[in-house]
Amino acid sequence: MIRELIDILGTLLFPGFLFFAALGLFFEWIDRKFYAKLQNRVGPLYTGPWGLLQPLADFVKLMAKEDIVPEGVATPIFSSIPVFALALSLFATLFLPVCGPQGIVSFPGDVIVLAVVLTFLVILVFLAGLSSASRYPEVGSERAVLQLLGYEIPLVASVLGAAAVTIGLGGSLSIEGIVSAQQNWWGILGIQALGFAIFLLAAQAELERVPFDIPEAETEIVAGWATEYSGKKLAFLRLARDVELAFLCGLGATLFLGGPWPGPLVPGLGGVIASTILFVIKSIVVLLLLTVIRAAMSRLRIDQMVNFAWKYLVPLSIFQLLLAVVTPTMVRLLTL
Amino acid sequence: MSSVIDVPVGPQHPALKEPLNITCYVDGEQVVGAKLRIGYNHRGVEKAGEYQTYIQNLYIAERICGICGIVHAFDLAQATEHIIGKEIPRRADYLRTIGLELNRVHSHLLWLGVAAHEIGFDTLFMYVWRDREAVMDVIEEFTGNRVTYALMTIGGVRRDLPQEKAEKMLRVMDVLEEKVKKYKEMCLNERTIRMRCDGVGILREEDAIALCAVGPTTRASNVPFDVRADDPHAAYDEIPFKVITYDTCDVTARILVRIDETLESINIIREAVKKMPSGPIRVRLPRAVPAGEGVGRTEAPRGEVIHYLRSAGGERPFRWKVRAPTLANLLSIPVMLTSKGDYVVYIADVPIAFASIDPCLSCTDRAVKFVDVSSGKSWVWTFSQIKRMYWKDKPYWRERP
Repeated sequence: MIRELIDILGTLLFPGFLFFAALGLFFEWIDRKFYAKLQNRVGPLYTGPWGLLQPLADFVKLMAKEDIVPEGVATPIFSSIPVFALALSLFATLFLPVCGPQGIVSFPGDVIVLAVVLTFLVILVFLAGLSSASRYPEVGSERAVLQLLGYEIPLVASVLGAAAVTIGLGGSLSIEGIVSAQQNWWGILGIQALGFAIFLLAAQAELERVPFDIPEAETEIVAGWATEYSGKKLAFLRLARDVELAFLCGLGATLFLGGPWPGPLVPGLGGVIASTILFVIKSIVVLLLLTVIRAAMSRLRIDQMVNFAWKYLVPLSIFQLLLAVVTPTMVRLLTL
Repeated sequence: MSSVIDVPVGPQHPALKEPLNITCYVDGEQVVGAKLRIGYNHRGVEKAGEYQTYIQNLYIAERICGICGIVHAFDLAQATEHIIGKEIPRRADYLRTIGLELNRVHSHLLWLGVAAHEIGFDTLFMYVWRDREAVMDVIEEFTGNRVTYALMTIGGVRRDLPQEKAEKMLRVMDVLEEKVKKYKEMCLNERTIRMRCDGVGILREEDAIALCAVGPTTRASNVPFDVRADDPHAAYDEIPFKVITYDTCDVTARILVRIDETLESINIIREAVKKMPSGPIRVRLPRAVPAGEGVGRTEAPRGEVIHYLRSAGGERPFRWKVRAPTLANLLSIPVMLTSKGDYVVYIADVPIAFASIDPCLSCTDRAVKFVDVSSGKSWVWTFSQIKRMYWKDKPYWRERP
């Protein structure tokens, strides 16, 4: 009984939904603040200390605003997508090892589930655009799917690369295995550096941020697939985007930077705290890298993006996957 | 599969801060045609001008455009002086030149920021606008205002430029030159900017001439047309400067033309401050202007601005006509936005191609077209028709009270 209660509380509060919703809002603040610093601005300033509560204030404001469903939209799909998007991105966060070597949900092969969840999120975007019955969302959702064609293979390949190294070293195909394998050896310093770079670019595309903010290019197609959303639905979509941001940063930290290690070595409650702090700090490192990419480039065109992805990103990602598969085997053969 | 849908861009659209409608005919991501519609912002400035005195009109003219307002005030003053037929003091010419060039620097920097924003490069946008503040401060010190300068008056200028202010201006220009050179470097070398701007919004030389494009738009198409050089006014006849042209005819060329012109303007300001003669800054001219016609023209940051003024004698103009450069440049937009052969236009190119002419619609809208909403019939009334219908019983040349 107590065991189940702790599990439920863990899912709902920490390190589950509430923690990641808060982390998402916090990451949005870091992103905005650092982006502003890079641009010689001040960024959010007035709500809370250093503007820390600005994302929350935005969320509350949107929740209170009028929620308009335009005429002619496919209402069931249109209205349910914000909920699905938030639920799906929160679900994905359950796999992340925040306060220990494994997440709330952990089983062999969970890496594959994560890759599927990331694709589902884009399919939701596509449906959101199509159900809006408006031209800008339609163009936006077409672009989202085209972009998915470009970055999905590199993203999955970079995730699998991390898994392949682990398997090569005798681990298992689960996030727990990948994290534990990095206790003593960080692939990012060697053969995984390329994989990490590809992961960052693909994550940027998944999150639709500059230079890959093509599906919601503000100056071209208003807000892209999200143009017709307002009020509560928009608030949910934005929160889902924030959670996804936190999730992808966390995933990057988990796969390439060793997640919470060496936190779990500390015994007892101290281990939980140390793990959490280390996990968040490592995620922030990934986030800052993503923000720098966002600040240093202009938006590409969709044809340029797909071109770039298939000419460079896909071959490189397959190369790094091969590298990740072959190298540990070689190392083992040599040491035998 | 070919299904062309029309995507309306504007009159309310985040990409266009201007009230204009571009209907893009889109096949997938490709734009196969574009149609323009203007007339959302008719303000009746010309008509308002007929009820004000010439001096009052200067301040209305300054408000035609929020960015290059000084140009309109200058043109109107020039046109009025043309009717009166009096020369103005040489020092006033130089001060006017400095005002015009400072305005060009600020306008081109503003445009560079907007262009960066259109291609999603907000960092460049923020940096450029930060540095633009320097020139805004100089303008404020010189004229007293940041935006509507109220520098021009009929017969000269209203404020002098003392030595210490001139020196400060030159110091700021030195700093600004460094920064602008850095931005030029950045625009030439940043790969994503080049990817978005090279070969986009092509307006070939013969098209630019045929469609009467003006300003940086035409100079980027390798047509060396610049009113400052072709018809020198103010102090441009005594200050040497280069007419910048580029021959790639695309958005990159327009960016580079504007950046180089900014550098050229900085040089003109330096030269003008150095050569400025001493003497009075204005002559008193009579309030009542004799009957006649006058024209004022200059090179605004966006291209040639023409003011035509007709006086029937008295304190108020009989007719005042303003031609803003955007009106001349708008015609080239459908050419830039139509895919033809190897030249492919994507939806993503529309904002930057449109922004590359530095559009200013509120300066442009002069004409009114009448539309019968129920039948869809539309027509235009000519001046003589209006005269016949409404001024039947009024003498045509009578001066209005």
